[in-house]
Amino acid sequence: MTASLLWKRIWRHKLFYLFMLPGIIWFFLFSYVPLYGVQVAFRDFRFSGGFSGSPWAGLKYFHQFFDYYQSSKLIRNTILISLLKLVIGFAMPIVLAILLNEVKNVRFKKTVQTLSYLPYFVSWVVVVTLMQRLLSQYGGPVNNLLVSTDLVKDPVQFLNNTSWFYQVILGSDVWKNIGWNSIIYIAAIAGIDQQLYEAAKMDGAGRFRQIWHITMPGIRNIAVILFILATGSLMSAGYEQLLLLNGPATAAIGSVLDVHVINAGINEGRLSYAAAVGLFQSVIALVLILTVNRVARKVSDVSLF
Amino acid sequence: MWNARGKVAATVLTTAMLGSLLAACGNNDNGDTNGSTNGASNGGSDNKPVTLKLLHNWNGSGGGNVEPDMTPIAKAIKEKTGVTVKFEYTKGSEVEKINTIFATQDLPDIYTGPAWGGELDGVIKAAKEDQLVDLTGKLDKYPNLAKEVQKENVPPALYDKAIGGIDGKQYMLFQNQPASDKDAMDWLYGFYVRKDIATKIGVDPQSVKTKDELFNFLKKIKDANLQENGMPVFPLGGFSNGWAVGIGNTMFYGSDYADKGDGTLEHVFFTKPYEDYTLYYRKLISDGLLDPETFTQTDPIAKEKINQGRIAVLAAHYPAILDASKEYVKSHPGSDYIPVGPLERAGAEDNRPVDLGIQGNNVTVITKECKNVDAALKLLDFLASDEGFKLVHYGIEGTDYDMVDGKPVAKKDVFDKFNADTTGKAKKDEGFGIGLESMTGLDRTNTLGGDIWADQERTAAMDSARKILRPNGIQVISAYNAGDFISKSPQWETLKPSMDQIGDVWKEAVFAKSDEAALKVINQLRSQIKKTGYDDAMKFVNDSLKGKEVVKLQMAN
Repeated sequence: MTASLLWKRIWRHKLFYLFMLPGIIWFFLFSYVPLYGVQVAFRDFRFSGGFSGSPWAGLKYFHQFFDYYQSSKLIRNTILISLLKLVIGFAMPIVLAILLNEVKNVRFKKTVQTLSYLPYFVSWVVVVTLMQRLLSQYGGPVNNLLVSTDLVKDPVQFLNNTSWFYQVILGSDVWKNIGWNSIIYIAAIAGIDQQLYEAAKMDGAGRFRQIWHITMPGIRNIAVILFILATGSLMSAGYEQLLLLNGPATAAIGSVLDVHVINAGINEGRLSYAAAVGLFQSVIALVLILTVNRVARKVSDVSLF
Repeated sequence: MWNARGKVAATVLTTAMLGSLLAACGNNDNGDTNGSTNGASNGGSDNKPVTLKLLHNWNGSGGGNVEPDMTPIAKAIKEKTGVTVKFEYTKGSEVEKINTIFATQDLPDIYTGPAWGGELDGVIKAAKEDQLVDLTGKLDKYPNLAKEVQKENVPPALYDKAIGGIDGKQYMLFQNQPASDKDAMDWLYGFYVRKDIATKIGVDPQSVKTKDELFNFLKKIKDANLQENGMPVFPLGGFSNGWAVGIGNTMFYGSDYADKGDGTLEHVFFTKPYEDYTLYYRKLISDGLLDPETFTQTDPIAKEKINQGRIAVLAAHYPAILDASKEYVKSHPGSDYIPVGPLERAGAEDNRPVDLGIQGNNVTVITKECKNVDAALKLLDFLASDEGFKLVHYGIEGTDYDMVDGKPVAKKDVFDKFNADTTGKAKKDEGFGIGLESMTGLDRTNTLGGDIWADQERTAAMDSARKILRPNGIQVISAYNAGDFISKSPQWETLKPSMDQIGDVWKEAVFAKSDEAALKVINQLRSQIKKTGYDDAMKFVNDSLKGKEVVKLQMAN
């Protein structure tokens, strides 16, 4: 296709391209422009030199990270927490979407949907403060309820406790994001041809059969795409949540790369080191996405590219 | 035709508006400085109005709801110097703030902040990288500023490290160093118990002297099963992020650097007393004697616990404890916090005065973005003068205080107004406590007349605590601190990230499941510190300190 033909086609569909424009601008500003700063990972950042004027340092900061005695612990914790979030956090919105699809009372359905979205808009600071109040070992309502109903003898220490750490992290993550993440599945389910359900009913399929044979295949493609994208965040366990919920008592299993990067870069002023660790996370994420994309293409014929 | 005219008119209008907008943007600086022309010229010498942005890099400082540049004191400063000070306050970490302003180049005209730790390291880094105004040769015209950076007015190691100059150039001003021993502020750090609780468990707090006695004292409180509003009372607690429950360290070792026995120093982190100190705190946690939330709690939550009467013993400095417990004590007479001890001090004879490093010192610098360096220096010189000091600390003579027999005496109505206001707003409205105090040169509070706003009950409580905790008085440390030398070692760049972990690793060890696990956590960091150049750095420190008097005993202050 010649350039003039391409421009003609773009001009003909200009309205659609216009819709794309905000997204393109967003990605350009927030994903491509910052790539210029990646060079800091290979430089000794100086206030006076800035990004491009600081002296080159080669792989010095990558070596520093891998020489750091906790680097393997940080990588392990990050991957473990991310994996748990991927497995549990990925499945729960699908379950919610399917459950909501089965609700026939529209008013109830809308109410549940709205309530499930709301936590997504609450900042982690507020969520963690709420959790500290609710789950407190000393007069927290959850413990009061558990003790008064004789479910436990003594109040449970939910926070700052390695035995409860993963449950708390996963529970709060699912609670906060389940509603929002289910939107895309609800939309996909809404796009399934209703005649398929009617035909299944006539063939004697019950609700579970319909879900299994119609709803699930109907959202399979979108689920695979989202799964591939989600693997990209396997090296990122969630900065705000872990910063707020991890403490000295849970540091052995709760210290993750995201918080390490922020501490090194902002609190300790080691910007080049932080950029190097951040870049390491991104490169691994890219490799993961490419690998999973390839596997998905072979296994299910669905892939990003 | 109409269309063409319309287009022309629209273009003209748009161009005019755009032009005005650009002109306004371009004039922004001048607008701010109200006509000050050349930044480096004599803008300050003839009191031309100048507005300077000042970053007060102290977390927790602030003007409240007050416009800091609109207070009577700020207006009086403007009258004297021509400078309007626009304050910016730090809400989070001070180290984070200083790193951020230089990395993003969002610089204030004047910066003032702590004269130690990562904050000072940030200032030194900025000086080395040409981000600050070189004051060499400029201070002759400003006698009050010249005085505050004289060698005898700065702790020796700090002078060598920063204040005396970086690469031969002088960048930093230094404030709040006591002008004399009587001006030295003793914050009375210690363990304080609620009087009613000590009575209830039948222990005289002054009988608690050793670490074991302190442990048993806390155990007794725990065993008493005290409750407040249905919630348990913690035997020991602190403020936000664990401040300052760790001050029991002085029962185990004298200071951060210890004599190895052969006359050379090592960091206390590598010693047995440090292990004992860690395991002691681990036992406090595992036995339920120390509030487990104390290391992660925010300041409001910490204060809420104190206000609910849920902390029996608090570890911090006394003014903070008095402030935090004010409301509870008011509604529960007899529940005042009183000192425990004095507790044993490792390595110190019984009759030795308490060794205090003077904290609260400020480093002030002028950044390279300063619009008017002379005006900034004039402002700082005025604040450091006796006149400026009195204005900032005592207010406006005749309005806030009177001079009686050469001493400032607070006006009764103003004193009563301040005293009745527990929020502190009344004082801020006048211009007190909004950050100007950080820049008033040498601390002359007692030399010039004392703290005229201190309420009598608080003064009496401080005096009473001082009598108990300082039976042999205090001595201000003037010796060299090894910590200031290690940061000058060639290995510091690689060593610092490991050394910075000590605090976090200590907390992790305190929460470890067993003593062995705690020691393992400490030993892992020890290896990392060694691997990143510790031995060579300590050799540098020991060589540098040969023949010099070194700090070996130091209490929190």
